[in-house]
Amino acid sequence: MDVRPLVRRAVRGRVATPVVREQVLLFRVGEGLYGIGIRGLWEVLSPEGITSLPTPQYQICTALAYRGRRLPLVRLGELFGASADTVPPNCRVLLTQGRGKPLGILVDEVLGVVDIDPQRVAPMPALATVLSPALFRGLVGRDGRVIILISEDGLGDMTEVARFSGE
Amino acid sequence: MAPQGQRERGGGGPDAAAQVVLFQLAGKSFAVELGQVEHIIEYREPTRTPRRPPHVEGVLEHRGRYFALLNLRKRFGVAEPGPAHPAVLLITGAGPDPRVGLVVDQVLRVLSLPSDGILSPPPRVFGIRAEYIRGVANAGGRPLVWLDMTRLVSAGEAITLLA
Repeated sequence: MDVRPLVRRAVRGRVATPVVREQVLLFRVGEGLYGIGIRGLWEVLSPEGITSLPTPQYQICTALAYRGRRLPLVRLGELFGASADTVPPNCRVLLTQGRGKPLGILVDEVLGVVDIDPQRVAPMPALATVLSPALFRGLVGRDGRVIILISEDGLGDMTEVARFSGE
Repeated sequence: MAPQGQRERGGGGPDAAAQVVLFQLAGKSFAVELGQVEHIIEYREPTRTPRRPPHVEGVLEHRGRYFALLNLRKRFGVAEPGPAHPAVLLITGAGPDPRVGLVVDQVLRVLSLPSDGILSPPPRVFGIRAEYIRGVANAGGRPLVWLDMTRLVSAGEAITLLA
């Protein structure tokens, strides 16, 4: 985890509690703003860097050819019911790990990296989605916006990914 | 719940009054227990969540806490759009989450319902099954439906509000 040095601030003569920050990669899927911790990320691929970017097949998990390997690719647009008819021009593949295994995540657009306070991450309300709560690490506010944090391990645990991996 | 037509008794004795928050939805009067209402706030656009049920608008942040925002018009299958500036009731102790937001047309006032003025509901009121109703009362000559928010929020059954 890329954690900034612990910050100690003097507040009226007292030492404030150290603030631990964590960096997350912000991205868009449909109209939604999402984030994923950069700790497990090792590469962000543009469409040109992908050997065979799958065309829309209404499948949540498809194949990604990457440097001679075949990795599961989770299409968040399909999973979240926000898929476009065409592949978004700014789409990216986030290469990360789900349960310790390589995993690609297709998103519509990468927006940047921001700092969050991990202690302020709140659970996703159960009523807010019919998807498994395991897919979401939680919610965190940043600059007046709410970021929905994705769980890489939750994605890696999905039946579709396990089936793809032959488990 | 008492049999239909009998007086609903609270736990505080025969003269105990129930404090409820009175609100309007699609021209009808409803109530929710005051003790379950944490805040009443103005409506603002929520963060849209993926694959949400049709009556869920997303999540809203309020004072560092997050809650699912449920639109009661949609929960009751009301097709007509609501007012431009609806209200949001922050409800606690209803459903699987610590709190939920409930979008209603307008919050009117806090009302004290004497226990002998609360009747057990008939099988259906405005199309809503009695299972989701704690009682009915007369509020200024109009029927008032006291909703059981816990059951209403938890259940997945479709409900259609009748005229």
